[in-house]
Amino acid sequence: MRAIGLLLVLLGAMPISAQEPADADTARTMRTLEHAWVEGQARNDNRALDLIFDNALVYIEYGRLVTKGEYLLRVRAIAPSPSQIVMEAMTVRRFGDTVIVVGTYLDKSAGARKALRWRFVDTWVYKKGRWMLVAAAAAPMSK
Amino acid sequence: MRSLMLVALLACAGTSAGYAPEDSESDVGAKILAMERVWSQAYASKDPKALDRILDVAFVNVDSDGRLQSKAEVLAEVRTSTALQFLTESMVVHMHGNTAIVTGVFLIKGVDHGKAYVQRERFVDTWFYKDGQWVSIAGLVTRIEQ
Repeated sequence: MRAIGLLLVLLGAMPISAQEPADADTARTMRTLEHAWVEGQARNDNRALDLIFDNALVYIEYGRLVTKGEYLLRVRAIAPSPSQIVMEAMTVRRFGDTVIVVGTYLDKSAGARKALRWRFVDTWVYKKGRWMLVAAAAAPMSK
Repeated sequence: MRSLMLVALLACAGTSAGYAPEDSESDVGAKILAMERVWSQAYASKDPKALDRILDVAFVNVDSDGRLQSKAEVLAEVRTSTALQFLTESMVVHMHGNTAIVTGVFLIKGVDHGKAYVQRERFVDTWFYKDGQWVSIAGLVTRIEQ
């Protein structure tokens, strides 16, 4: 419940100014939302994820295109477990009411020895008083 | 000659026409798809001139090896492209006000160090309406698992 309250506050954070790179408040908000996504997924908290995913979200992983509905269905089907995703450095760039977050994360779901590092690009759009994730994609990083 | 055709196509595609408020989403979508084709054609023709106009100065790309590329690095990559054919398939545009998301598939055929290759990759590009024209601000490409 506290997590949803926090999300609502973050989602409602007003855009400040259209600058690039992002102002500190926007950058902080986006980093928190990225972490909220990872935590929501680990807790199988579809309600929290539903708040940050736009209905037209497009998500690409392993070369597959996944819709919001398909993503949430998959999250619901998996048992809650401690997050296997470790978020690393992120860069936030702002273009008016649109934000691009580029960063890396470590996926330890196949075991610590087979941990795979991914680079991601996420697009957030401020609509109806909230930041919504409209596109997300990741590519595995070559060793 | 090829570069002239690219510039002409680009002008028709929308950078000069821009985005008028009366443009419908389908009009805007068609313009953006045309620019996506200009983008892929740039790789096949090894000519970054047209691409230079449709990538924002702050453009960032993640390639299929997870490498982060700036606009300058992408333009340099185009000049040394090994692609002979670069086709786009299954493209879909999602409009979010002055932002557009395009997803699609690349089919790339080329020759690298004397060896022919065929690659299929899925991409997602983010476009933003800025200073009277649509520019791409971010992209990511990932291999399609067989």
